[in-house]
Amino acid sequence: MTTRASRLQLSLIVVTLVLLHFYVRPRLFDARLSPDFLLFALVIFAMRSGPGTGAVAGFLVGLASDALTPARFGASALAHTVVGYAAAWGRAVFFADNLLVNAGFVVVALWLRDLLLLIASGSGERQVLLELGFYSPLQGVITAAAGIVVLYAFQEWFAVRLEA
Amino acid sequence: MHPASDRSYSRRDTVLFVACLALSVAALFSPEQWTVAFAGGLRATVLRPFVWLQERAEEGKTSRARLRAVTAERDSAAYVAQFLPSLTAENERLRHTLGLSRRLTAPYVPAEVLHQAQVTDARMLLLSVGRSSGVSTFDPIVAPEGLVGVVWSVGPATSVAMTWAHPEFRVSAFTENGSAYGIVAPSASATGSDAFLELRGVPYRDSVATGTVVLSSGLGGVYPKGIPIGTVVGVESEQAGWERVYRVRPAANHGSISHVLVLTAPPHGSVADAFPPDSAEPTPRLDSLPAPRVRPGPPSGRKAAAGSAPAASQTSPAATPSPAAIPAPTPVRIPAPAPPPPPKDSGR
Repeated sequence: MTTRASRLQLSLIVVTLVLLHFYVRPRLFDARLSPDFLLFALVIFAMRSGPGTGAVAGFLVGLASDALTPARFGASALAHTVVGYAAAWGRAVFFADNLLVNAGFVVVALWLRDLLLLIASGSGERQVLLELGFYSPLQGVITAAAGIVVLYAFQEWFAVRLEA
Repeated sequence: MHPASDRSYSRRDTVLFVACLALSVAALFSPEQWTVAFAGGLRATVLRPFVWLQERAEEGKTSRARLRAVTAERDSAAYVAQFLPSLTAENERLRHTLGLSRRLTAPYVPAEVLHQAQVTDARMLLLSVGRSSGVSTFDPIVAPEGLVGVVWSVGPATSVAMTWAHPEFRVSAFTENGSAYGIVAPSASATGSDAFLELRGVPYRDSVATGTVVLSSGLGGVYPKGIPIGTVVGVESEQAGWERVYRVRPAANHGSISHVLVLTAPPHGSVADAFPPDSAEPTPRLDSLPAPRVRPGPPSGRKAAAGSAPAASQTSPAATPSPAAIPAPTPVRIPAPAPPPPPKDSGR
């Protein structure tokens, strides 16, 4: 498959995920526990791009998040930048063509994003513990489950392996 | 797709990463007015289609529930309308009797809450109304249950609300029976589903019973008087001989609400009538407490003087209370001197 075709496919999937994030996610249950399609889109984009591109993509996603939930402007940009960069490096370190490894990436990325976001936005110790101990892992699993569905649906495009 | 082995990580990647990090840190430490303006600009331009999309999704999610609510309201209104003429007449009569002026109706703008999937969603809410709808900074935000927060920044079509869970949220408050004044602030030691508020600065001599409803006092000029904030559920801490801090369960749960009302021109008077008693937990009011029966007769001494007003109200044969039968207004304590108040309730 040509590089151009791959990029087109990836762009289509990212656009679909962005639409899912803003149109489908609000119709699901509680916002705090609904799948974060935007973060999933960032992870799969960064894993299939270079670390620099992943960092820039993370920065842009973070800026959008900061504009929509400005608890502390810049905190989300910082967190997503690190996640985008780390996701691109993670692909080189791990064997990331496996479906479950991809899902694991999403869980870790979401947890790392929340950790950085909470620290950068100056949250209390108890809130950090509660969020990182309960809500973040739960949302990570939910996001990963939604991600598995997307990866499964587009397995040909992503060239992921389904067996463990 | 690119296999990982085909990529060669270069110095360019590191430069991009460091540049993004530097920009993020710069945004973190930028002056607030810059970041607010920048975020508002983003929402009004690049993110506007996405915000619009999310608004449609929120509307679709809640349209069925809203239809049920509207139907129920219509039925209730039809039922109440049967008694409307007599109620209106009685209302007018009582107003004239009590010497009250006509109640002010607060203009408001209904708004959708666009929840985000982030850990900070509880502190800040994105609303679907902005400057074009007449919303401005520091407009109070209420739900049917009570106070939700205050508008923090406004864009052309959206605005950002600071909820009561934000660490910087403050509102001047008093108990429903007027026995205590204080400042309500989020508790620093509770989060998530355990989130609650604190009623601070209550003088040690003023005890507040569990179950008492706490309302906004109207002091400070941001929140009108009479919005339910929450219900006292216990004493959080106390400094012997000085003050007590009460734990308050919030009336409105910002995590589950999907629609709010933004009071665009908060009246200086009370809006307590807009919140029926069942919107917050019921609490004993002074004028509803059982009063001792006193035989009509010439008052003698302090005991008779104290019981004269309730006795008159109970023994009056008329359905409409006469001015003499109306209980004397509850004496309101003047709040203890506090540090110089900020220009608004929620200091930023």
